Amino acid sequence: MKKHRGRVSKTGIKKQLRLLPGHLIVGIWCLFTLVMLFWIVAASLSTSPEIMQGKALKFETGLHFENYVRAWSANSISVFFLNSLMYAICAMVGSILISAPAAYVLARFVFKGNLVIKSSFITAMSIPQIMVVLPLFSMATRAHLSGSKILLILLYIGMQIPYTTTFLLASFSNLSRVYEEAAAIDGCSPMKTFWKIMLPLAQPGIVTVGIFNFMNVWNEYFLSLILLLPRRICQ
Amino acid sequence: MKQNKKMIVCFLTPALIFFVAAFLYPICRTVVMSLFKVESISDPVGLWEFVGLSNFADLAETTIFQVAMINMLKIWLIGGILVLSVALLFAGILTSGIVGKNVYRAIIYVPNIINAVAMSTMWINYVYNKRFGLLHNFFTWIGADGLAKLDYMNGSLKFVSLLIAFCFGSVGYFMLIFMSGIEQIPGDVFEAATIDGAGKIKQFFTITCPLLKGTFKTCLTFWTVSVVGFFVWSQMWSAPLASEMSTITPFIYMYNVTFGTMGNVERNGGLGAAVGVVMALVVLVVFFVVGRLVKDDDLEL
Repeated sequence: MKKHRGRVSKTGIKKQLRLLPGHLIVGIWCLFTLVMLFWIVAASLSTSPEIMQGKALKFETGLHFENYVRAWSANSISVFFLNSLMYAICAMVGSILISAPAAYVLARFVFKGNLVIKSSFITAMSIPQIMVVLPLFSMATRAHLSGSKILLILLYIGMQIPYTTTFLLASFSNLSRVYEEAAAIDGCSPMKTFWKIMLPLAQPGIVTVGIFNFMNVWNEYFLSLILLLPRRICQ
Repeated sequence: MKQNKKMIVCFLTPALIFFVAAFLYPICRTVVMSLFKVESISDPVGLWEFVGLSNFADLAETTIFQVAMINMLKIWLIGGILVLSVALLFAGILTSGIVGKNVYRAIIYVPNIINAVAMSTMWINYVYNKRFGLLHNFFTWIGADGLAKLDYMNGSLKFVSLLIAFCFGSVGYFMLIFMSGIEQIPGDVFEAATIDGAGKIKQFFTITCPLLKGTFKTCLTFWTVSVVGFFVWSQMWSAPLASEMSTITPFIYMYNVTFGTMGNVERNGGLGAAVGVVMALVVLVVFFVVGRLVKDDDLEL
């Protein structure tokens, strides 16, 4: 870092001028994105007739914040919202609690089947969901578990495991072995070393993968569509 | 050593149980199911009727499935070229020392974190609207009346509009992957090139691109997986007709054929499973071919 933030030197301005085409291309794309995002927000504060007439951005009848109130209470979005929140948090915490120890063991120890497990997790990430949903659905209906929230949470956790493990595996292999050696010399058992030392050290990776997991489950659509609407589908 | 063994078992077992229950067992069962005729998806195995490979033969002859496969191929090929090249270009621009890199990166990535349902509502009701949409207004403003009068949500244009909307949302994700790939290239390579008189653009094509082979491979695999799982966008685009031909994809076809919500297709769980197997094979073939064509270990950095 030779330059201080916020102070662009003369050569810096020259450089940015040379990068002008880049600024233009990315800038136009960003502008378009912002306009679209703004429209979503504007439409949410507008009325249906206004949207249908293309006046969503004009706010002729003022800002309709009551849309949010109506959606939240009358259309029971609050229930759906809490459902999604619960699924996302449970799946995020669950998948990390299960994947992190597995990733640590896979990253640190040499044993039979290590490579097989690693590569099957990587392969599982490229298996399309379409390949696993049918048996999951039939198992759920046969066990009279479709519509059960716990089943869905467990499934979400299972779905995130390969990705989470592979991601955390990389973070654990980047940690130095010195920490474990020091802990062992001080008489700390390997398991305790993991929970007390290695897991906190892998925090940046855990936070990143946690955010990804949360978003995946939060935006999940297909599994909840087929597993939570059993009556409509299988009479 | 004994303690290590205990630890390995304790730490690995939960993950493996989940993996077997959520991936391994369902995958095997889907493969077996694709060889049977299964009337209702929740039937026990005893009611299955063995039909061998005839599910696959049926699929090959079904027009809807052929259309769905062609649609998917188009999305994969055209969309893939568009998305990956735009993402690579943006990654190149953002890593060139541009001011405001973090702001640009955040804005380009935002469409990824917005739900596909919200994004497609926005595209359909705003950008593509033929009376007041963004495209309509833009083309009227620059005076291209012919383009302004087009109905983007009808006929053959419907597929193109779907493709563009989907691609637009995907760019940010692949851009991030490319950016992290570029940032891993040691800076002295570029310094040496600058000293030798290579400009930014030349460096991009002769250094950055060849060194990104491995990243490119990752992106191609992820792209294939996301195209195979193409469901929500297509469903949004074809509502209220749940299986419109112009935007149907194999996933939608599988959904109709197994869960039969529309009643226009015969219900057969085995056929649905066969679609799943075909899709998985597609991904594996891409995986394998890309792995063969692009060897990323021949570069020493």
